[in-house]
Amino acid sequence: MKYILMMNTMKAGQEAQGIMAWPKQDIDAHIAHMLKLNQELLNSGELVSAEGLSFPDQAKRVRAGNDGAPITDGVFPESKEFLAGYWIVDVPGPERAYAIAARASAAPGRGGVPLNMWIEVRPIMGAPPK
Amino acid sequence: MKYILMMTGTKAQWEAYTKWSKEDLQRNTAFMRAFSKQLKEEGVFVATEGLGWPEQAKIVRAGNDGTPITDGVFPESKEFLAGYWIIDVENPEQAYKIAARASAAPGPGGVLGNVPIEVRQVMSGALEEFR
Repeated sequence: MKYILMMNTMKAGQEAQGIMAWPKQDIDAHIAHMLKLNQELLNSGELVSAEGLSFPDQAKRVRAGNDGAPITDGVFPESKEFLAGYWIVDVPGPERAYAIAARASAAPGRGGVPLNMWIEVRPIMGAPPK
Repeated sequence: MKYILMMTGTKAQWEAYTKWSKEDLQRNTAFMRAFSKQLKEEGVFVATEGLGWPEQAKIVRAGNDGTPITDGVFPESKEFLAGYWIIDVENPEQAYKIAARASAAPGPGGVLGNVPIEVRQVMSGALEEFR
């Protein structure tokens, strides 16, 4: 079964308080933790894909106008969670997906202290019914 | 440049979707299938996924000993990701045009949904360096 693990940690306008404000060695340790996790998931054959997204200040909301042309807006509610990145894993069941999510959750933050951040985990759907 | 196009909805919006008629659902699904096929033909398609329902979502974090702590309670206002496309295009304007096409997917009664789609650049190379 495929599961998506989502880091919804970012809020608009808080980029400066985020990871980019950490000391360089803390950022390096955080990235090293994620790279090691990715490498292990690749080696175990469980990793389907993983992506990191750009920061919320680059996000736009787009919808079609009546003529189909794009209408863009960059204003989001303050409460909105922004996806920072995700993993898709192919595992036997939810327990393994939760265990992997806990590994990602424990990535080190400032001073190397584990962040223990929340990771949203959901199954990926198969093809929609015809 | 890779961009992600994300469709999100609150739990209430997801529940409304379950009440669509079979005909409306089929029309929407046919649109989405054709859309993915068009993106492949245009050479901009990278990936797409549809996610499970919010009822199936858990939030997980590590306890102090590293074991997973799971919770299934979310704020009412939370937007759940319904699905996404990743495309590889020349510039953001092209990504916005493609997002507008996804936005115009048909809703109930075949009326254009014009739902908002969040568009953001994807950082490349997270995995490529391992392969």
